[in-house]
Amino acid sequence: MAVQTDLQNRTERTLGSSSWIGRLRALDLSSPRHADKLGYILLAPAVLLIFVILVYPILLSVDLSLQDVDIPRIGETREPYTLDNYTKLFGSAEFWRASWVSLKLIVVVTSACFAIGLATALLVNQHFKGRTLARLFVALPWAVPEVIAVVTWWWMFDSSFGLINWLLVTLDLADKPIAWLSQPVPAFLVVSIVMIWKGYPFVSIMLLAGLQAIPEDHYQAAKVDGAGAWQRLFWITLPSLLPVFGVTMILVVLWVFRDFAVVFILTGGGPIGATQTLSMMTYEQAFGFFRMGFASAIGVVTLVICVLATRLMVSRMAKSMY
Amino acid sequence: MRRTIPQSVLLYVTVILTCALLLFPIYWMFVTAISPSAQLRAFPPQIFPDAPQWQIFQQILETRPMLLWLSNSALAATAAVLLSMSVSVFAAYSLSRFRVRGGQTLGLFILVSKMLPATLLVIPLFAIFREFRLIGSLWSIILAHSTLIVPFSTWMLKGYFDSIPRELEQAAMVDGCSQLGALFKVILPVATPGLAATALYGFVLSWSDFIYARTFLTVEQTKWTANMGIASLKGEFITDWNEIMAASLMAAIPIVIVYMVLERYLVGGLTAGAEK
Repeated sequence: MAVQTDLQNRTERTLGSSSWIGRLRALDLSSPRHADKLGYILLAPAVLLIFVILVYPILLSVDLSLQDVDIPRIGETREPYTLDNYTKLFGSAEFWRASWVSLKLIVVVTSACFAIGLATALLVNQHFKGRTLARLFVALPWAVPEVIAVVTWWWMFDSSFGLINWLLVTLDLADKPIAWLSQPVPAFLVVSIVMIWKGYPFVSIMLLAGLQAIPEDHYQAAKVDGAGAWQRLFWITLPSLLPVFGVTMILVVLWVFRDFAVVFILTGGGPIGATQTLSMMTYEQAFGFFRMGFASAIGVVTLVICVLATRLMVSRMAKSMY
Repeated sequence: MRRTIPQSVLLYVTVILTCALLLFPIYWMFVTAISPSAQLRAFPPQIFPDAPQWQIFQQILETRPMLLWLSNSALAATAAVLLSMSVSVFAAYSLSRFRVRGGQTLGLFILVSKMLPATLLVIPLFAIFREFRLIGSLWSIILAHSTLIVPFSTWMLKGYFDSIPRELEQAAMVDGCSQLGALFKVILPVATPGLAATALYGFVLSWSDFIYARTFLTVEQTKWTANMGIASLKGEFITDWNEIMAASLMAAIPIVIVYMVLERYLVGGLTAGAEK
């Protein structure tokens, strides 16, 4: 403080003493001697907003998960803390079934997304005329809002007039139209297909970026050594893609895990819970049955899973970022 | 690397078949929209209708509040982007240029918060918005969408700022610019494509949301977003698929256009903070 006044006085003196200029100087946060403070001030609005819309809600949901509440009111006298929600949760068959469905969905969707994503990335990485356009088209489903993707596929899988049933019957692959969404396995399949269609472009885009980062001379060297196309794929392309694979896989897994709209609109978790993921279960408990304390407990469990998965990725990246 | 002619042909056939197969649902959405209702319940399905019903789009706008829903979506997305960008531009600049204590922790928290499940956040946000009487108001989703946009735009912009050499603003500061002045007069103009890409991407995130709109706006049909409207068109017994598909096209087209513009920056956006 003393230094500051001193500086201020000196500035005033050199500037010919009109004191308001000195005060103005002191307020000018962008002057070099305030450089550090400026850093904090620039961060402040974001920190404030993040606190209001992220940190506080997360703390609130942890708080709710520890109380026996149905529809919470903020500021009302809180219920006593209890672990009931968690004991009930881990004891319920529904929770374990939903975890199993989430896991199945993650495995099916992620592997299919990677198969299609890798194939399309390799394809549009070739040199040919019009590949810019091909790249644009290959990843186009990324741009289709999820709800719209869902209703479009819903119509294609319509049990009476849908295109897929017509195709299957015409090609003799099914003897009668399939009621897709009212049977457990077909419903799971439809949910998976919609998610794969929405998810593969991301993998394709990421892997294409990875492919473009592989230096051309690696391939040249391999060719000189007499490696064929398949050998180049297995010994150069795929190993070089491994880091991108890791990050992309975690992102896709988390996306499938967190996704809600596809299941909610298509099946609402049914039939008989066959497509009830943890996200769907959280939402249904909260806004279907208005058991928000219990729902928060499921939410907190999914949160912990997400954070652990993210940490897997972050610990690898943190070093390179700073 | 030269290809023989059969190889070239094979390549093109593969590319075209792949695109056709993967984009077929989008084509089918279009064909269904312009097909007469009666034809949709007839077999075999027609790959292109004999009498395209172009007036379906007009019909939708007249019989359903589609225009209102679309403008709600646009309004919410624009506001959410403005709100998020106005805080994340400064935050990103600070994270990129200053050594701020706790900056690294904040950066990591932001990164982790990109991965938060919306199904968790929606519960406390519901309680908070109810308290402030924001349920049924577009403000609820504007704030909720900021939870999606702020983390990612901060990371994306930090990436852009990192790629701009410090010498640029140092030169400006030697010429008498303050640090803040340098940000506005030098850095932001240089980063304009990055800013635009980030803003558009944020717009896509907000436009595509379903869960927040479905939870906070259900009570007020005049406040619905396009996605909610579309999901609600699916009737219990009779469904006019051509109407749903026409509405879907209207809601999808803005985003597809954004995607066409954005494609070059897409990798940067998707990988913002996810990869170095």
